[in-house]
Amino acid sequence: MLALQLLFNAIALGAAYALVALGFVLILNATSAVNFAQGDLVMVGGFGALAFGSLLGLPGIVLLVPLLVVMIGIGFLLAFVAYFPVRKRPPDTVFITTIAAGIIMSNGANAIFGPEPRATPSLVSSGDWQIGGLVVSYQSAAVIIVAAALIVGLHLLFTRTQIGRRLRATAQDRDVAASIGIPVNLMVAATFAVGAALAGAAGLLLSRNFFVSPTDGANYMLKAYIAVTLGGWGSIPGAVIGALIIAAFEVAFPALPALIPALAPYAEAFTQVWSTVVLYVLILLILWQRPQGLFGEAVRARP
Amino acid sequence: MNTVLDIEQIEVRYGGVTALRDVSLKVAPGQAVALLGANGAGKSTLLKTVIGLMRARTGDVRFDGRSIATLPPQRRARLGVGYCPEGRRTFPGLQVRENLMVACWEGRAERERRVEEMFSLFPALRQKADHLAWQLSGGQQQMLAIGRSLMGRPRLLLLDEPSLGLSPVLTDEVIGRIPAIKQTGTAILLAEQNAAKALAVCDHAYVLQTGKVVGAGPAGELARSADVRKAFLGG
Repeated sequence: MLALQLLFNAIALGAAYALVALGFVLILNATSAVNFAQGDLVMVGGFGALAFGSLLGLPGIVLLVPLLVVMIGIGFLLAFVAYFPVRKRPPDTVFITTIAAGIIMSNGANAIFGPEPRATPSLVSSGDWQIGGLVVSYQSAAVIIVAAALIVGLHLLFTRTQIGRRLRATAQDRDVAASIGIPVNLMVAATFAVGAALAGAAGLLLSRNFFVSPTDGANYMLKAYIAVTLGGWGSIPGAVIGALIIAAFEVAFPALPALIPALAPYAEAFTQVWSTVVLYVLILLILWQRPQGLFGEAVRARP
Repeated sequence: MNTVLDIEQIEVRYGGVTALRDVSLKVAPGQAVALLGANGAGKSTLLKTVIGLMRARTGDVRFDGRSIATLPPQRRARLGVGYCPEGRRTFPGLQVRENLMVACWEGRAERERRVEEMFSLFPALRQKADHLAWQLSGGQQQMLAIGRSLMGRPRLLLLDEPSLGLSPVLTDEVIGRIPAIKQTGTAILLAEQNAAKALAVCDHAYVLQTGKVVGAGPAGELARSADVRKAFLGG
């Protein structure tokens, strides 16, 4: 039963991380550049949810709608401030401009909301179901459902609609995409908007249980980066699986002494701090063995 | 002369190097024109300048009598210029069907019809419809790239080196589709190193050498001309 509970908790956490990583990898594929503001967009989403919550007094799941609209706008803005002016420069220029944009967001949030951690409204209401020994909180269940719905929606957008095909075509070969009539700059800007919307949604989902404070961006950024590295740089399913792996590890590690009786005498070693150390050691080991990440690219050059 | 494409004395630079100098060229509606020349003569640069991936420093590019020299590629494509790049460059992570669909700007029904048209033009693509483009052979990718460039029903198709890397049999199969494409009313500008095969399917031809037009004329005449034979057809 404990294992089942841990699995449920890991999926709830991993689903939210997956949204952050997905947004990151979509922008990566569209621009070949790393958007280092992705973590700060999660933080902005958290504070956005907080602001809409105190303004409207509605449950989080309803706030998602205006929040996504605002985050789409912020994504377009980010593209026009931090990407288009430097897009013909080497990709590391975009590292710097997106880091700068992230710092602006972080300090802006500090100026408006203050440095203390805040909790956003719950998605539906507080409470839980007890199923056998399993505790399923409404919040965690709603997080999974919302994240899954967004991921499925994204998948349908990319595979079933013309705009989705055009977004993918633009990411794969921008010049050729332009030469068949695709407005490529608009597509790239739209990709930033989608990436920001996903990050913002994750901010809403995560900031109930984990709070939001202006300096949270770096932590989420690192997790997205690691998830995408682990999953295979540029791989979209890999990003989701990488996020789930990180979440599973974060949830399972502190519980190991309870799961495995032989470890019980060393229970004090299974802390948050050691969890982080072990996670990164494991990532190093994995990358030594598989520098391309766990999942090879779906797209290869034909031999 | 009524022209679909009228290139007037363009000069194009590539970095600091002049890739095209004082090049003029005309394509009449429904005409197939071959652009011959060795590797590096400027054929690809010329086609890229027509679609807008490169810009002419001087001179003008007119499509249907209207100057398109300052328009971005996507505007030129929507006006009716089709471009099939050298090296095929199909979208590797899109299915064959998606590669075609993404290049069409009509509604769903018309889009499906045109996909079917491309499958009739290149039957080999039909069995591969749900494969990702990177999984296709070189010849199939070339057919897909041509199909993609025809999805917008262009009035001018720019075809860059379609025989590159293909076996002679496949080259014949791909170049052999040109008369069928021409029959639909699409004019063609075909850049090809394989002069004999290009001249066999084209009405008119230009010869480029180090960025300049050094010869032009009806395809049949050029095929018989001693100079062209010496330069491209092996004597």
